[in-house]
Amino acid sequence: MTDQEIIEQINSSLAEEFEFDLGEMTPETTLFEDMGLDSLDVVDLVIVLETAFGMKIREEEAIRKIRTLGDIHNFVINKKRQMESA
Amino acid sequence: MKYDFIVIGAGISGITSAITLAQNGYHVALLEKTNRTAPLMRGFSRRGVHFDTGFHYTGGLGTGEPLDIFLRYLGVSDRITSFPFNEDGFDLFSCENPGFEFRFPTGYERIQEKLCEAFPDERAAIRSYLAQVRTTCATIPYLNLDLDIDPTGALQRVLGQTVRETLDPLTGNVLLKSLLSMHSLLYGVSCEEVSFAQHSAIVGNYYESVRGIRGGGLSLARAFDTRLAELGVDVLCNSEVTGISTGPGGVLSGVQLADGDSLDCRAAIATIHPRYVLDLVPEGSFRPAYRKRLGNLEDTVSAFVCFATSKKPIPALAGANRFLIPDPESIYQLDNRPIGKAPLYVSAAYRDGDIEPHGFIGICPALFSETAPWESSRFGNRPPEYRQFKEQALARMQDQIERVFPDLAGNIQSIEGSTPLTIRDFCSTPLGGLYGVKHMVGQFNPHPATRMPGLFLAGQAVVAPGVMGAIISGFLACGTILGHDLMKKELKACC
Repeated sequence: MTDQEIIEQINSSLAEEFEFDLGEMTPETTLFEDMGLDSLDVVDLVIVLETAFGMKIREEEAIRKIRTLGDIHNFVINKKRQMESA
Repeated sequence: MKYDFIVIGAGISGITSAITLAQNGYHVALLEKTNRTAPLMRGFSRRGVHFDTGFHYTGGLGTGEPLDIFLRYLGVSDRITSFPFNEDGFDLFSCENPGFEFRFPTGYERIQEKLCEAFPDERAAIRSYLAQVRTTCATIPYLNLDLDIDPTGALQRVLGQTVRETLDPLTGNVLLKSLLSMHSLLYGVSCEEVSFAQHSAIVGNYYESVRGIRGGGLSLARAFDTRLAELGVDVLCNSEVTGISTGPGGVLSGVQLADGDSLDCRAAIATIHPRYVLDLVPEGSFRPAYRKRLGNLEDTVSAFVCFATSKKPIPALAGANRFLIPDPESIYQLDNRPIGKAPLYVSAAYRDGDIEPHGFIGICPALFSETAPWESSRFGNRPPEYRQFKEQALARMQDQIERVFPDLAGNIQSIEGSTPLTIRDFCSTPLGGLYGVKHMVGQFNPHPATRMPGLFLAGQAVVAPGVMGAIISGFLACGTILGHDLMKKELKACC
């Protein structure tokens, strides 16, 4: 998967599962202010990403630092790269 | 008439929520679809012997321990009489192959001493395991009233190590690992799935002290009924909730009942299985991601349960349960063995006022799929093939019990039983899960706050099964509404 494909899959999964408008989703979009998510939604976010990419996300710290959609893109891309090189 | 709060489901978590809110001055209705409160806790009687279906023994009920404080806060501790289980052996681990017995005592020091006697080469592993249980147990909200409630704290119980992953590096002794994992039967999740933190939160209380209640769960249910009446809670039995109504902004405004009535309220706490909550809320009130999460929650294993009366008293079972373990590995998974090869838990049943048991209850983990051919049947209309299947299952359980427990052979007067189907219909869990939703590594169970303003969740899916788990889930839901600091302050006043 290219980085662009990963980003597209993240955006489409989140748009579907959280009922966001794909057109309004940019890397700068903040999850909490712009998209209206709260700490409870983080759990659902993790599950959506785990399901979409068939991976287990156990690093609580990295997840807690996520603020924008771009942070999610980078997190998943890094995670995918780690899995591929492992 | 408008209620401040409506609580859906009058099990222990619902009763706890209703009492807590009423004690804080709110006008509360407690709705129950069956004809009485706490049906599982009440159990039933046969030939004068009372069989507990929901409560057999508990940890943390010694003076000043968490459950004692909770019951005092709920205003019922003076209405029940508890008694200590055998301090030298509240649970007897009885392994058939290899033949090995261990009596689990109460108190960390005594447990350590007796375990080290039985496994002299494993002293380091035993010390490390017990020390970890002790420190981890104290990190659970409300079990430790000095602890700040962090909504993400539950993640530890989801993301941490399993019991097996914790034990494997400590010891290669299969018998010891099996023994330390045996209490997984009390929460229905195998040591390969449950987090060490969740396991510790439950067993840690039993390690401190173990007590029963005179008259069993029925006494506790009656004490709760008296307290609910005293507080003026409207307890409405035969009131099944069929829908939740919302007002402007998608805020919860009331509930609809099966008889066509509806009740208005400011907020509600649903204590039913989370999957059933999805059937109640209007379309679109939960995002797909949340709806899927609740819908996909995995349940604990189901079970075959037998209820036997005995001709003569069974003193050996007084204040001590038995864990019949065919072989050490049988405890590693709880859902892949047929009766006879699977672990079986045996607990005493008493005649009213007796000190010596006159019967017992046996529980053997089983998959719901075993009864799948009859899943469309309900109480009262089960086909003859099902009844035959059930008789055979009971006979196999009786064989196993008599094999390991020869003093019971020839002493059984009557035996009845229930299957995964019975549990599904009686406990209102979609697939007969003995303890409802699983608490396991990788599964994110729901938090008390939901995506619908005004709708909160409690129940064993939220914290843990058992009386303790149910009560804490009620406190967590009420704390989410009233403020955890207030809840903790009120609870501390009962210390």
